[in-house]
This record gives sequence, C-alpha cells and structure tokens, in this order.
Amino acid sequence: MIIIEAGQRNAKSFEAKVMFAAQLVQRGYSPVIDDSTFPDKTGRFLKYEAAPLLANISDISTSGLIVLGAEDLCESTLSTIRSYSLPPETMINAMGRFADDQAYIAATSKLSFALGREVNVVDLNELQPRPILEKSISPLAAMPHHKTGARHGTPELFLFLPIDLLEEPETLPVLGAMDHLAGFQLNIITGGKGKELVRKTKFSDLPIFGLAELPPTALATLADIAVFFGDGVPGERMANFSLDLLKHSGVLVDCTASGAFVSCGAPAIRGPQNLASLANYLEHTVIPNRHEIGRQTQTDKWLMTNSIERLEEALHLPAPPTEPSPKKRTNPKTVFLPTNGNGLGHAQRCSLIASEMPRPPDCTFAAFPSCIPLINSKGFACTPLVQKSEYHTEEYANDLVNYLRLQRTVQTGDRLVFDGGYVFDSIYRTIMEKSLSATWVRRGLWQPGQVRASSLEREKAFDTVIVPNEAFDELNAAYTFGRKVHQVGPIVQQSAQGENDRLKLRQKLTFQLGHEFDELVITMLGGGVATDRSAQLQTLCALLERRPKCLHLIIVWPGSKVSNGLYGWKNTRVIKSKNALALCQASDLLVSAVGYNSFHEILYHGLASILIPQTAPFMDDQEKRARAASDRGLASTVLDNEFMLLEREITNFLDNGKAGEIRKALANTDLPKAGTRDAAALIHGGVEK
Amino acid sequence: MKAQPSIAYLIEPRFPGGTSSAIASELKVAAQLGRTSVHAVSSQMFKGQQIAPQIRNILQELGLELIWDAPTISADLVFIHNPSFLKFETTLSTRIIAKHLIVVAHENFLRPAKARAFDVAKCLNLIDNASLALRKSIAPISPYNRETICDWFNTNQTGGKWSVLADDWFNICDFVMHPPTNTPADRRGRLSRPGMEKFPTLAEMDLCFPAHAQSNVILGADLFMTENLKRTHWDMIPFRGVEVDQFFEMIDFVVYFNCATLRESFGRILAEGIAAGKVVISDPQTASVFQGAVIGTTPGDVDSIIKKFVANPDQYRDQVKKGQDVLKIFSPEKFQLMLKSISDQKIGH
Repeated sequence: MIIIEAGQRNAKSFEAKVMFAAQLVQRGYSPVIDDSTFPDKTGRFLKYEAAPLLANISDISTSGLIVLGAEDLCESTLSTIRSYSLPPETMINAMGRFADDQAYIAATSKLSFALGREVNVVDLNELQPRPILEKSISPLAAMPHHKTGARHGTPELFLFLPIDLLEEPETLPVLGAMDHLAGFQLNIITGGKGKELVRKTKFSDLPIFGLAELPPTALATLADIAVFFGDGVPGERMANFSLDLLKHSGVLVDCTASGAFVSCGAPAIRGPQNLASLANYLEHTVIPNRHEIGRQTQTDKWLMTNSIERLEEALHLPAPPTEPSPKKRTNPKTVFLPTNGNGLGHAQRCSLIASEMPRPPDCTFAAFPSCIPLINSKGFACTPLVQKSEYHTEEYANDLVNYLRLQRTVQTGDRLVFDGGYVFDSIYRTIMEKSLSATWVRRGLWQPGQVRASSLEREKAFDTVIVPNEAFDELNAAYTFGRKVHQVGPIVQQSAQGENDRLKLRQKLTFQLGHEFDELVITMLGGGVATDRSAQLQTLCALLERRPKCLHLIIVWPGSKVSNGLYGWKNTRVIKSKNALALCQASDLLVSAVGYNSFHEILYHGLASILIPQTAPFMDDQEKRARAASDRGLASTVLDNEFMLLEREITNFLDNGKAGEIRKALANTDLPKAGTRDAAALIHGGVEK
Repeated sequence: MKAQPSIAYLIEPRFPGGTSSAIASELKVAAQLGRTSVHAVSSQMFKGQQIAPQIRNILQELGLELIWDAPTISADLVFIHNPSFLKFETTLSTRIIAKHLIVVAHENFLRPAKARAFDVAKCLNLIDNASLALRKSIAPISPYNRETICDWFNTNQTGGKWSVLADDWFNICDFVMHPPTNTPADRRGRLSRPGMEKFPTLAEMDLCFPAHAQSNVILGADLFMTENLKRTHWDMIPFRGVEVDQFFEMIDFVVYFNCATLRESFGRILAEGIAAGKVVISDPQTASVFQGAVIGTTPGDVDSIIKKFVANPDQYRDQVKKGQDVLKIFSPEKFQLMLKSISDQKIGH
C-alpha cells in the first residue's frame, strides 16, 4: 500500500490527495489515505470519492509514501509521517512546485528530518514546465484508460460553463437548441449553483453534471469532446478531466477568455468565445476532423511531458502491477439491486427477471437485509446493503457503506440492474466509475409530485430503462423518452394452483395451526413502515372473529411492525411466509395493499380482493391503481378511513357472492402478456460495452 | 607600533541558539585584538524575532553599538557569521569593503548522504556580489564542517573565488568547569531545540532512554508532548522549561543523538555537558570534534556504556576530567592566537 499525504491539512489538499490516489488506483497501484487526516468539513461527493481510499495506517502494510504539495509542509503533516516509523525499504517520494532552490532544499530537509532518511523530491516545475494549471497541489498528469464515450455512435460533448455565463439570458435557449442537434450528445458541466439554476427553469431536462459529481477520470471516460468557457482552467478537477480526455484522443476546445489551455501549450484547439457560434463550429470544423485531431494529439510533446508515465518514472514507481485497461470479462456477472423502502417489492420483481435470464447462476443480488431471505429462497446469492437509520450521523451514511460494498461486488464488464425510484449516489457512482452496463427497472405510477427532473436526471447513467407496464392503460405514463427506454408487459409472478393443491394447502393450515375453518381470509396490508395499519387490522380481526369457522391469516414480512394486540384473536393468526401467493390462491378473500406486485398477482391469478391503498407521499399512487380494478368490477377499493364500507364489503364478499362475481369477471378479462421474459432479454442483449 | 586592525562583524543577531552564543564569546576576544564594530542585517529568516539575549548582553558588556543595515561596511577584516541567514533574500544591500572577508560557516554545507543543507550558492553569491575584498574565505568551525564545505565546493560552483581557511574557526568553550559526581547513577538526559532534526527515530530514543534507567530527562520534548507520546518513564520538559544548570543537576549522563539526516557542525551542547561535569555520549562523527572528550557510539550500545561507568565511579571521574582538559583546545586564548594569525597575514602583497 502506498500512503498518499499532502503538505497541508486543509480540504483542498485532501481533495488533491483523493484525486491523485484515484489515478493511481486506475493505474493498478494500491494507494491509501490516512483516515486521521480526514478534514472536518468535507462535501458529500468528496466523501464518496475518499471512502474507498481511507485506511488506518497501523492496520496496513506500507510499501511507499508519496507527499503532494511539498512546497508547503505543515507541522501536522510532518508529525504524522514521522509517526509512521516507516521501515528503510519503504519507497518515499514527494513532489511540489518550488519557488526556488532554497524552497526545494528546505522541503527536502524537513521531510528527511521527519522520516530520518533522505527522500526523492520531484520538482514539478522541472518535470512539467508548462502545467495546465499553475498552482495545483495534485500533480495533474494525463492518464490512459479504458474509453467508453460515444456509446451510441454520436460524439459525447462535455461543455463546461461557469454560473455567470448560465445566468445570461441567451445561454439556456442556445443550450436548449444544441441539446436537439444530431451531431453530438450534449452534456453540461457546471458548479452546484449553476445546476440548481438550470433546474429551476424550463430547461431543467438539459443533461448536467456537477463539477464534483463524479471523479474526473470517470467523467473523461464518457467524453469525446470537451469545450471550456469562462476565464481560465476551472480548477484541478477540470484540469485532470481535460488531461485524461486528451490522453484518450479526445478533442479539447478552448473557448476561455484567456485562451488558458492553448497558452500553456496543451494540444487544445481554440474555439469561438461566443456560445451561439459553438454548435456550427463543432459540427463543421471539429467533428468531421475529430479522429485526426485525436491522432495528432497522441504525438504531442506537451501531452507526453504532462503524462502519468513520466511522473511514475520520476517517482521511481514500479511498472503498474496490472493492465490499466480492464479486459472484457468473458462471463459478466449481472448484479440486481432492488432498493427503496424495505425493498421487498423491488426484490420480488428482480428475482422474477433474474430467473428468466439465460444464465441465472451468473446473477447475484445486493439488497437490504429485509429482502435477503426472499432472494435466497429464489436461489440467488445476496450482498447485504445497509438501510437508513436514525442512529446515523448523516443521512447518506448508509449509502456510503453501500457504495463501498458495491465497489467490491461489481467489476468493469459486469451488468447492473437497479430496480427502484431514486438512484442513490452509491449506485450512480458505481455505474459511472466502473463503466458498467446498467439497466434501470422503473415501474411507473408515480405520484404527481414525484415526477421531477432531479429524480430522473441520473437516468443518464443507464444504457437501458425498462418500464414494467401496469395491466391497465390509464395507469401507464412515460416520464422519459428515447431509444433507451423500453416498455414491457407487467412483471408478475405466475404460479398455477389446481383445486387439489388448494385443498391440500387448506388442510395443511388446519393441521399446522390447529384451527378448523371453512373460510380463509388473507390480509396483507404492508409492513407498517410506510403507513400504520393497526386500526384496519384490528377492525378486520374483530369482524372475522364473529364468523364461525373462519381462519384469518395476517401475512407479514420480515421487519414488519406487528402490534401485540393482533395476537389475542381466536380466528386470527400472524404468520411470515415466503410463499404468500400460494396462500392467497387458497383463500376465499384477500384484503391487500395495492403495490405493483400484489396488484398484478391478484389480477393474473383471479383472486377476489378488497384493496386498501397505502398513501405515503413517497410511494406509488396505489389508490389510482386500486380504482382501475374496482371501476372494472375486478376488486373492491376501500380507503383507510372507510371502516363501515370495509365491514359491508367483507359481508358482500363472503356472504353475498361478491367474491365469486369478481373471480368470474377476472376470468373474463384480457390482461396484457407478462413482460418478465422481455425484461430479461433486454438486460441480457444490447448491453455489451 | 603596528596599528590595530579594524574588525567588522556582519551578523544576523537573532539566531536563537549556538550561532549567537559562539558570536558572543568571540566578540570578547576580537574586541581585544582590534577596533571592532558590529553590523546587523534584518533578514527574512528571523523577521519579527528579538535579538538573541547573548548578543544583547555582550554588546552591552563591551559597550558596542549594533548598527542595522548599514549601506557600507569597511574594515580590514570583515567576519560574516552563518551565511544561511541570507537564504531567503534576493539581495544583500550592504556593500562590504575589506582586505579579508571571512564567512564563518557555522552550518554544514551538506547534510549526511551529501544532501544540500541550504542554498549555499545563493548565499555566497549574494555576499560576493556585495563585496570588494582582496581575499574571500570560508571558515569551517570543525573538521566535519570542513569536510562538508570541501565536498560542496567539489560539486558546486559559485560566482566568486573563495578559499577555505586552514584553521578551524572553532566555538569558544569558556565555560565554568564543574567537578564530576563521586556517585554516578543511571540518570540520563538530553537537551536540544524541539525540532525533528534534533531527534533520532523513536526506536533509537527508546534504546537511549529505557524504562530501567533511574531517570530519563528530555529537555526540549515539545515534539513528543504534542504527539501525546506515552513514555511514563521519560520526564518530558518543553524547550526552555527549566534552566540549563537545573537540567544538568538532574542527570549524570548526556546522551545526545540527532536525526540520521542531520549532523551537528560543532556540538556546543556537548561541550556544555562536559563542562557541567557529565559523561557525554553521542554518535562517532559528532564525538570526533571533541577528541575523546565525548564517547562515540550507537544507541544500541549506550546502555552498556552507562552501566560500566555507574559500576566504576573512578572511570566516570576520569572521563569527565579528560573531557574538561580537551575543552581547553577551544579556549579564548587559543582562539585569540588563531585570530591573530589571520590578522597578521599579509594579503595583496
């Protein structure tokens, strides 16, 4: 392990350490950052970037130390590196931009005093006489890597714009127009404030990346052309991004006021300083020649001078231990990632798709603990993820851990299938940083307030979006469009149960529960996490208690909140089961919440049901779904405050023949073909990068 | 009767340690030899710091005025002490006119492993550009210091023509000699500024100051105190936390090693230890300056050496007396002779 340290202990130095260490990781080295040097105030994005690199130095075997920013060494840094007591065979390097010879000598002396031995100190002014950015702590070296840009054959354009330019009234309309040009795929890079500004306008669907949203290296793998507006080179991250882009034959267009890229000697081409002229310039001058420009860039002396290979040589680093460009995997793994809520519905849907994949043994899962028994019962391995907790100090603390686990679970070349509503940072970053083939299984029926640009903007990370349709047309709505968005039929578990099986199961229940019954009512109102259903459950228990020879089963999921009061009823039993569908099929009446899976299982298995929608603001629009069925006479909808109606409907279903009528109506209803197999085919096909 | 030579000192009077102590001792001798003036340069290196008390006291004692940043210095002999104070300067605005300009090195020009100690070329060039002298010399202060200077000149070039004086411009050791104890005990200690360069590795410190010693006094232990180092058998005292005399009363052995990448050019603190009546132990190179007065060894052998002296108080006393005799070679009288011989040299004839 190589420890990366910096002269100063501020946030900027820490970020430089993270950037350089991330580059070394890409090169195949094993750098670490001392976790005791983590600064007090660090942004969320930087925490994600730093997390995989942090280590307790006393726990690791150290082979080297590299000190950045050695021109400005603070006592804390010197004291820390002294405390490592590194053995003599440890390779020790430092680098910096030294104002003069004395500054170089002073840094060399200080380091040698701290470490008790001489240190190889590289003066970056000599190594990179014309750097892309004059005052940088990170060494800013161009790095070759696996290129994934131009995924659809159209060049990916990354356009940096400072906020003051975004605030000008003509800017967004020009960008809006550029976004629809066929010659390139527009991506905007700007700071957090710029991103917020655009989100609040009618151009909120413009594809925007925040400056710190992704590591520069990951961003560079996506880009074919980068264009910079503004005063100069906008910081170390963008400098690194530009260098990496050039190294993989990308085209760098310098539209800055000072001509900052061109004037330092970088093989950039000078572009127009007026944004309105850019599109034509790109289409007619740059894009037709971009391959030739890229070819010439590769032989550019400045780029060679500012390359990582030269830096590695100066640091006497051994040759990278692994091939920098990852080889394409012959047997890619498909990792399913069902999240949101307790994730059961998502996990159920994913397990159905995984079972339909050509090679289910190559499928694996990463999911919350609540889903693991279900996933395991379907025959799939699962990496546990961490759920949010009120005990975490930060709201994304669990996601940071999940990010680390995902980093270890997937490799470049694997497929990732996410089923959920919100693309967490852990998922987004893992896809982008590892250049994964990614699919988003995104069921619809979002509540009106949920359809926001911010929820959908991370769709850009996915190659494919699969929208599992609802059974009824009025429930289907497209939130995004384009060639990567695919609609498939409802993804639903299908299990045939003959009359004999049904009777056997009922007899088994009688025997196992010691309860004779003629009528079986199943209740599944959710885990109680999203909505408290105690009142409805107690009402059902009371209503069914009056009925002789009735067995009322309340099915709960792992992690569900179960009120103690439910255990006092003679006709009611609370049970956990991995095979709820079989029990529902054996029932006379099902009282159910209206999640996607339950709803479609009811429809596709012809089950008589009373539907009680859950109504939490972060959930899907369950009432709309329930009404679509009840309006067609295929179920009954009872809202959570309609206790009298609930009582009447129980009587109607069990005593007045409504259950039979509904079963008959369902049997006569044409439902769309299930889309599980199509979804599996979409994931398996067209996703090779 | 031959006229007394004029002597001008050009110094940075704010050096906190050995340099100022050495200058102070030397001024007393030089003032007897000729008409002496003392000039000060306000350098970036010590910006905002006070004049060292040793300098202030000796100037007062000799009735000399400290002249700051004079435009011109003119004297037969001009002595510039420790040129490293110029390392952050871009120019030396004082013009120097002299028959013989002597730059007293004080610091090694190279660290061990031949690493550059400071930007010597820049400092010497600034002096060279600001001076008109018949002869320009570098004065080493010890044999080891001379070695680093010669090595530096072998591999570096400067604008001017510099010669290296044949005699060492040693630190005057005119300390009061204290008798050794009759009952030496395993009471060890060291004294230094608190910088990292002054300390060996922690493993070596542990060898020098083990738990089984009767006492281990570390004066100038600020570094370890800041790091919250846990060594309950060490008595850690911050730099200047007690008077030097008080410190020497607490110990019988001075055990002084510094960082492997730094070597003392003279080792004034070792001489103070000998004068205080202590057995002094250090690395062989640093010990060599004192011609047997300091025991040269490695940290791993410190324990056995101390054990031997504790078991043999006579040997302890003999070692201290021998050391104090050796210190006589660094007496004011010897220094005066050396200075006089330089003053008497005919230059330019």
